[in-house]
Amino acid sequence: MSETAKIILVLFQLLTLASALLVTFSPNILYASISLLFAFLGVAIMFLYAGADFLAGVQVVVYIGGVTILVLFAIMLTSWMYQVKLRDSRGKLIVPLLLALFGLLPFLYQGAQHLASRVLRTVPPDFQTFAYSPKTNAVGEALLGNYLLPFEGITVLLLGALVGAVWLARPK
Amino acid sequence: MDTASFAHSLQGWTGGGPLWVWAALSAFLIIYLIALPFGGFATYVERKLAADFQDRIGPNRVGPYGLLQFIADAVKMISKEDFIPAGADRFLYNLAPLMVVVGACAAFAVLPLSRYLMGADVNIGIFYVLSISTLVAPGILLGSWSSNNKWSLLGGLRGAAQIVSYEIPVALSILPVVMISGTLQIGSIVEQQGWAPGAENAAAYHFWNVFHNPFCFVASILLFIGGLAETNRIPFDLPEAESELVSGFNTEFSGMRFGLYALGEFAEIFVMSAMITALYLGGWHIPFLNLESLFIKLPTGLMAIIQLGMFSIKTLSLVFVVMWLRWTLPRLRVDQLMGMCWKGLVPLALVNLFGTAVWMWVFNGRSLAQLIFGVAGH
Repeated sequence: MSETAKIILVLFQLLTLASALLVTFSPNILYASISLLFAFLGVAIMFLYAGADFLAGVQVVVYIGGVTILVLFAIMLTSWMYQVKLRDSRGKLIVPLLLALFGLLPFLYQGAQHLASRVLRTVPPDFQTFAYSPKTNAVGEALLGNYLLPFEGITVLLLGALVGAVWLARPK
Repeated sequence: MDTASFAHSLQGWTGGGPLWVWAALSAFLIIYLIALPFGGFATYVERKLAADFQDRIGPNRVGPYGLLQFIADAVKMISKEDFIPAGADRFLYNLAPLMVVVGACAAFAVLPLSRYLMGADVNIGIFYVLSISTLVAPGILLGSWSSNNKWSLLGGLRGAAQIVSYEIPVALSILPVVMISGTLQIGSIVEQQGWAPGAENAAAYHFWNVFHNPFCFVASILLFIGGLAETNRIPFDLPEAESELVSGFNTEFSGMRFGLYALGEFAEIFVMSAMITALYLGGWHIPFLNLESLFIKLPTGLMAIIQLGMFSIKTLSLVFVVMWLRWTLPRLRVDQLMGMCWKGLVPLALVNLFGTAVWMWVFNGRSLAQLIFGVAGH
């Protein structure tokens, strides 16, 4: 990867992190959902950097074109939704914070290792970079070949969700 | 030539400079050479056509035949007062028109103007166009909400619902082509449509996809209807229905922000027409003629220009049909719009998909033209 590409990647990572933080901490629910859009976009670009072009496209179509729009719809169709204060008492924060820290541990450990190796001049753990290669064929063959059963299982699940939604929305 | 090699040659001609500057410049070049002039000229053509349909003269004051009208319009829009209504959400109000323009113009990167002239022939070409143009829907929705106006909000909600719904028949009508070609790469999809009588290796090429089989013919029409709805054009212009909602989602926008919405809409129309041309109408190919196998060898530059001309003729004819429909058909109601999508287009698109699959299985992947002229299957 060239230096410019690395700088652009870091910029997008910062954008993703900043928007993810805004999603969590913004008191305005509309701004939170728009930050979610940019977080999804950042993740899509990271997929591109990892060489997963098809996954990046899916990320944009499903999460920006589908999920974000649905969230925005839900917000705009709910009366007085933007006046809701999204603050909770401090005491309720302790357990989620502990859980989040537990999830972060591997990353913190790796980061510390990396930092230590920088300081001690040892070889850092290798960050894998992928050369760009088209993955669409491989994804298609995997979904309809080796993983056909789970794929079909998910389609049945989605069909069930669809039928359920129609049943809920039927005229009484 | 794609943008990457163009950036490299720009770097070579000027003797240096960082590559990313030239790469960014050549990307902007696509927008400034195609999207902006097309958007401007399309407004002129649309007004002239409206005048013809209504037995008027139309713009005729600025330049010969009023040809420079769009430049005057642009100057007016840019020099207008930068106005943000009281109570508007300033950040989103500024952001929303940009999202629409970015979503529409980013798709220009993969348009196959000619075999030798293409922004980037990426592997997930069609999917890229489908995914990047989803940015338009949040742009319309946020613009409508942020202008703090009930008409705007109603228009925006309609627009987003319409775009999200019609994405499904559009995607389902693109799938038959993907099934026939076995790739998402737009360049190679166009390449496979270059069948001409007497061409060598005829098994690898079928004629235009629209004539591949009867189901594809229907699918191309569905794609056109769905694209019309996704670009919010009449008869599907419910988001800005001026007889009900003043001007819908862009009621509160004026000056260049309104101009950006208009530019985004025209860019979307161009992209939609170009996609139908590339997927179904054979892209840059001249029917029944293979430029590469002529008895004289044409220089590459000349072939690129001829192919560009062919592609433009097909695309602009579709744009003309879009404008023609605008002055011909009345607007649908909201329930009619949704009913047509979910009860009409989606089942029909599924039938097309299944029918194409059956055709591929029965005739071993051969197109109608190959069957008529007796080409062996591949």
